[in-house]
Amino acid sequence: MSKDSKPTLAARRAFLAKLGGAATCAGAAAGAVALGVMPSASAKTEAPATGASFPTKDYDWTKHQWGFGVDATKCIGCLRCVEACKAENDVPRNAHQFRTWVERYVHLEGDDEVHIDSQQDPVNIEAAGSEKTYRFANRYKDAKVYKAFFVPKLCNHCTHPACVQVCPTGATYRTEDGVVLIDHSYCIGCRYCVQACPYGARYFNEEKGVSDKCTWCYHRITKGLQPACVEVCPVGARIFGDQKDKQSPISLFIRNNRVQVLRPETGNAPNVFYVGIDKEVN
Amino acid sequence: MPKHIVRLVLIIVAALAVAAIAKPLLTVDSFYRFGHYRANSVPEIAAQEPVYQTPRYCYGCHTERRAQWSAGSHKTVICEVCHGPAQGHPQNGKLPIPTDTVRLCTQCHEAMPGRPKTQPQIQVAEHSGGQQCTVCHNPHSPKISAATAKVSGDAAAGKQRAAACASCHGAAGVSPNDTWPNLAEQSAPYLARILTAYQSGDQTDPIMTPLAKDLSAADIQNLAAYFAAASCKAEAGGKPVGDAAAGAALAKNCTACHGEGGRGGNPAWPKLVAQKPGYLINALKAFRAGLRKDPMMAGVSRGLSDSDIANLAAYYAAQSCQNSK
Repeated sequence: MSKDSKPTLAARRAFLAKLGGAATCAGAAAGAVALGVMPSASAKTEAPATGASFPTKDYDWTKHQWGFGVDATKCIGCLRCVEACKAENDVPRNAHQFRTWVERYVHLEGDDEVHIDSQQDPVNIEAAGSEKTYRFANRYKDAKVYKAFFVPKLCNHCTHPACVQVCPTGATYRTEDGVVLIDHSYCIGCRYCVQACPYGARYFNEEKGVSDKCTWCYHRITKGLQPACVEVCPVGARIFGDQKDKQSPISLFIRNNRVQVLRPETGNAPNVFYVGIDKEVN
Repeated sequence: MPKHIVRLVLIIVAALAVAAIAKPLLTVDSFYRFGHYRANSVPEIAAQEPVYQTPRYCYGCHTERRAQWSAGSHKTVICEVCHGPAQGHPQNGKLPIPTDTVRLCTQCHEAMPGRPKTQPQIQVAEHSGGQQCTVCHNPHSPKISAATAKVSGDAAAGKQRAAACASCHGAAGVSPNDTWPNLAEQSAPYLARILTAYQSGDQTDPIMTPLAKDLSAADIQNLAAYFAAASCKAEAGGKPVGDAAAGAALAKNCTACHGEGGRGGNPAWPKLVAQKPGYLINALKAFRAGLRKDPMMAGVSRGLSDSDIANLAAYYAAQSCQNSK
């Protein structure tokens, strides 16, 4: 740039110089203030008193590490869990948004392909009669079925959750007791997490404009109850409990069975343990 | 240091300072308490109220149902599976009693590839001919086989023991009195079940209770075998007060369990054919009042008026038992 002596340019330079000076002063002052503010701000967030439990006064999350088991050999595909989950957690009553769902795997004789459907399959919606109730159509009644089984699915509450890693706002996180939750008031609805989950466990709730998924009924388990789907399962295909308690249903389930998790190669380290599933299930 | 570099450094320092001030002011208090999230959202989520209340909540009032349910094969199916979530009940009204039980029950019990073998399953089209499941099954304790224990008694030995019954029920099981039931040709498993119920106190009667207490298990088997094999003679017993034709219409609701004309269907339940009308009236009224306890009969008798009961009794009393086997 040439040395121009136009008054406007000089004025601009003078203004910038002043601005710079002002900013420096402000910065120095702010730095000093910030040093004072920061510790006081963090002090405010300390636990109110030692011994007080979090998150509720009757429940201390450091004393639990929750886990979930699915015994697919017991599942009868009645979908009571799906309906209970919808009622318990105010999930939209339609046939494409679920916190938990059930898949059916069917091998037919002389057919290498596995046929997979869930309650959101159009044939099953028709059998249910509406999108508000759920039912598996008896579509393989007259087919030569070589092998068939049902598999309940839900959020795996991974130890290293990909969905949490991608969240830009800190709206989803893993609690101390091992549950992955969503803070709906911080969710901006970007749906990165929906994309990131390798299990398709998250859905986008258009009504609320936020992502949503299974919480293992956090409001129930912190009150000493079982998740709603576990409570209503008539055959005990869903098992829930505290992995820190070695006599809890989930600890016994893991100890007494050869369990597996879905897609271990992703490194998410799921906390839903399965018994009785084939390699096609993932 | 050149002047423009100094300015640049000052601007960067200023920007950092502004950020340092702004961040704590713009971040809510609980955000970094445990990690990169708002800690207060955890108690917020935990504060949500449960919708499903669990059976313990239901027991609080429905004690009678609890006893029945917890003893039956449906004890793993909690109340709210069929009746819906109990949040707000009873303050906000009653919970639904499912009416389309065929649809409800087949949700779990329709034979379907993929269901484990241990799950009781039915071919819906063949099982009941479209009848509601609750016609035969008590949904709170659905197993029927428990009531139809096989009777393997000795009829000859039973005849000896039956002498004690003759004064009320007739020597051959055909009662001379309108108040006491005929026993001849009655279903044996039903007779055995009722005698056992008198013995255990599940059913009480001032006369039958002490008599039944003296019976051994073998006596019960023998008596049941004897009366079941005895020949039924349709004798007009007493004058029916009801209208048999009106009773015939009502009796359509009874055929699923008691058979056409009361001639018997499932051996778990009594035959009603040619039964004494006075006895039938008393029995139905006892069921209706809850004095005689049976979950199925309590339900079906609840809606019957006195004249309905008299009409039904007249209808069954008028049936000829000659066709029954």
